[in-house]
Amino acid sequence: MSLVRYAVNASELNIRESEVLRYLGYDPKLVTEADLQMVQNLREEVIGKIAPKAVYDRFRIELPKEGVIDMPYGRVVSKDLYNNLKGCEEVYIFAATIGAEYDRLVKRSSIRSMANAAVINSIGATAVEELCDMLNEMLRLEALEEGHALRPRYSPGYGDLALENQKGIFSVLLPEKNLSLTLKDNLIMAPEKSVTAIIGIV
Amino acid sequence: MKLSEKIKSGFTYFEGGCGTILQSKGLKPGELPETWNILHPDIITGMHYDYLTAGADIIKTNTFGANILKYAKDDEQFSLSGVIEAAIANAGEARVRAGREDAYIALDVGPLGKLLKPLGDMEFEKAVGIFAETVKIGAAAGADAVLIETMNDIYEAKAAVLAVKENCDLPIILTCAFDESGKLLTGADPVTVVTVAEALGVTAVGVNCSVGPRQMADVVKTMAEYASVPVVCCPNAGLPRVENGKTVFDVDPQDFAEAFEDIVKGGATILGGCCGTTPAHIKAMHDLTVGMEFSVPTTKTDSLISSYTHSVAVGDKTVLIGERINPTGKSKFKQALRDHNIDYILQEGLTQQDKKADVLDVNVGLPEIDEVAMMKEVVTELQAVTDLPLQIDTTNIEAMEQALRLYNGKAMVNSVNGKEEVMREVFPLVAKYGGLCVALTLDEGGIPDNAKDRVSIALKIVKRAADYGIQARDLIIDPLCMSISADPNSANVTLESLRLLRDEHGLNTVLGVSNISFGLPNRDLINGTFFAMAMQNGLSAAIMNPNSSEMMKAYYTHNALRALDENCMEYVDYAVNFVPDVKAPVQGGKTSDTAGASGEAKDKNAGADNEAPLVTAIRKGLKDRAAALTEEMIKTESSMDIIDGYLIPALDIVGKGFENKTIFLPQLLMSAEAANSAFAVIKETIAGNAEGDGDSKGKIIVATVKGDIHDIGKNIVKVLLENYGYDVYDLGKDVAPELIVETAIKEDIRLIGLSALMTTTVPAMEETIKQLRASGCPCRVVVGGAVMTKEYADMIGADKYCKDAMETVRYAEEVLQG
Repeated sequence: MSLVRYAVNASELNIRESEVLRYLGYDPKLVTEADLQMVQNLREEVIGKIAPKAVYDRFRIELPKEGVIDMPYGRVVSKDLYNNLKGCEEVYIFAATIGAEYDRLVKRSSIRSMANAAVINSIGATAVEELCDMLNEMLRLEALEEGHALRPRYSPGYGDLALENQKGIFSVLLPEKNLSLTLKDNLIMAPEKSVTAIIGIV
Repeated sequence: MKLSEKIKSGFTYFEGGCGTILQSKGLKPGELPETWNILHPDIITGMHYDYLTAGADIIKTNTFGANILKYAKDDEQFSLSGVIEAAIANAGEARVRAGREDAYIALDVGPLGKLLKPLGDMEFEKAVGIFAETVKIGAAAGADAVLIETMNDIYEAKAAVLAVKENCDLPIILTCAFDESGKLLTGADPVTVVTVAEALGVTAVGVNCSVGPRQMADVVKTMAEYASVPVVCCPNAGLPRVENGKTVFDVDPQDFAEAFEDIVKGGATILGGCCGTTPAHIKAMHDLTVGMEFSVPTTKTDSLISSYTHSVAVGDKTVLIGERINPTGKSKFKQALRDHNIDYILQEGLTQQDKKADVLDVNVGLPEIDEVAMMKEVVTELQAVTDLPLQIDTTNIEAMEQALRLYNGKAMVNSVNGKEEVMREVFPLVAKYGGLCVALTLDEGGIPDNAKDRVSIALKIVKRAADYGIQARDLIIDPLCMSISADPNSANVTLESLRLLRDEHGLNTVLGVSNISFGLPNRDLINGTFFAMAMQNGLSAAIMNPNSSEMMKAYYTHNALRALDENCMEYVDYAVNFVPDVKAPVQGGKTSDTAGASGEAKDKNAGADNEAPLVTAIRKGLKDRAAALTEEMIKTESSMDIIDGYLIPALDIVGKGFENKTIFLPQLLMSAEAANSAFAVIKETIAGNAEGDGDSKGKIIVATVKGDIHDIGKNIVKVLLENYGYDVYDLGKDVAPELIVETAIKEDIRLIGLSALMTTTVPAMEETIKQLRASGCPCRVVVGGAVMTKEYADMIGADKYCKDAMETVRYAEEVLQG
């Protein structure tokens, strides 16, 4: 395999109001027309500023013993990831982001109105999840054609999978070059709304 | 022949891809390609040899990732200098073997893989330093030029170019990676890349990587239209795909070559390849293009400035430069500078952007503050929130240099004048960092009282600038306007100067428009008319207040009347939304507030039927109405009565709703913002009556701990605490424990709120608490954030864990009022 770039039009992301409000802690029974309107207006603003993109590749892996996975970037010790990948010989690994302009938008909103900033934060989180879902679905269909199925995607920081894995994932996907997505010294990604994940192929 | 002469004498060819060739020779994923300079010099030399015999004139050394982040200085096997020196030796060897002593060796410099601050975590100066290490070694080892390539971010490109300029005299070629949208991943368009690159004095500018040759043609054409230096084009061989388990690129040498016909017609003169291209691609492309018509790039006359995304051309239509970021005559702004209230300054910038300013003037000079540090911070922070170009406005040369250096783009510089001493200080900075420089028509003899002499000073400045290599297009003349209250002929002289500068000398002009009315009542009336007259006489840019409706009226109507506003679109948009500056009646009447998330129908938190209007306004998050009502009430009620009788009760209703989960975060914050606007009215009245600064309920520090930059949660807590009448010291994000301790002691703080989002930053929180305890500061520490739990909080020695902002308010009440 080799690196494949994936991009969708921001307006194609299905950023549901209900999901945005759920993320903000709303009780669905108490959502008003005005709440929906607020999300819709800010969603327009977010869509105008994001560039949803991803890069992925497909790799062979080995599971030499319980709790140990040989990833393309080296040996990983993680019971949780091991359980997730048991029975897989291959994985997809991807990195996805909605871009740096979103970070500026949040900053701008924080100065003008924290209420809007909180909603925009939730819209951004929903947007990057949706991007991951769309990519995930495409990969599922791709795998299905070959008679394979996919395991639920798994990210560094989930369960006992160390954040250190970000370094390895970055070394094989080169998201710095492909997405302008970078890893900070503290292993947090910049731009902020970004996701890396491993998906087992069975 | 020198490279700088060669590229003006005919087409010049770069090598093609390197990485894909090394992979085909066995380079493994994750293996560092630059180690092969030492491990397999034969393969590297062979690759250069093949490219040279295919027609390449410039070798790209195998040093794309050679920097101190990847290669330690003292590594025994692969030291940074070892890797770079070997790369250049291999290139030199290939040159000899191929009998191509006329070929050039370009030290190849790629991106660092780090996003610069404020969005990422790398300091601009650190990036300059890292590039400098690579450049020094390469220059000493005999490179003929430096190729800075595959840049996604114009800011990082600037760091790299500065590093080269400061460490050697080699020609600089800059190529950036544009994606399918025709922009860099960090947003810059092709014109902006050209503008910034030329401002920094590169020898050639262009595109590489990312897409295939056909998709690059448009970007190349746009760049060539604006560039005075040669344009480079090094595309990929299309996009990679997998065939029989091997990576192949979909553009073969013949297709690749044919696509270059459009690229050359579009104006590129330095040609080559990137990922997936081979010596066969370069040969086919070379053979097809070498006989095509070559033309030397012409010198362009566009006057451009840029931010990190887009450029603004100074030309026919007057550019609006917002003047509000300036302490002169503004007591609130001065106070914000003294209090280090950066948000206030940023807010001034954003408001002007909303009012359609094209550029923001930045002046933060105040005798009692460190202007250099403040200028650096404000320029950086402004560029984290706005994409407008900035005008650096200072007489402090050190502040000017630091701001121009840190600025992401090509700035305006305010200002130089005809005094020899000032030109000697300012022009070297403009020459080094680029910029469009405001030039005031005054000199050692003062300000001439007639247009002819002002124009003479302008011409003297233009001539002197040329000595520094600064072209007339990078100057914008300010013929100055003085108040007509002091000199009745003043406007006439200024207008005549504008006309002469435009008609006789083709120079761009700028004015601080409102100076014309100094000393007169209702100044905006004069300002608006004078602005229209100045535009009619050729004013290219105005330093003005975009909040002034008289000025904006003049601007839109003038443009519509002068056919500078296509189909009057901007005028119509302005006119249909035009609201005269009259305050709407408030008392008892209905105002037209539109904000507010809670609809009437499901308003389960409505108070009693006889609820006071101010309580309703706050509850519903109606900012403007809350402020207007407070303005009325303060005439008859004391400030404390309003706070205790309306604001706090309203917030309590909302706070209880939040705790009972009938009101949600955005609504809570909107109410907080409405209460804030009521507070602002009260504060202003108190300040006006000089009653002191009101009663504070206590002082609280909030901070996101070191290593963590997620500050949404912390900001939410801050807004709410302020609402409840606390003085909040917001130390920001990524805050060192030492600063928190120091502030706590200095300000005698009793409550500190710490926030962390990541598990990885919890240790920083623990360290902060440890240092606070060790200092003997008798404060309580409340912690919160996404990963925090009661257990964590206990473990790291916090006094309290709060799950949300309301709980933090309750805790503050308990600690500070109990």
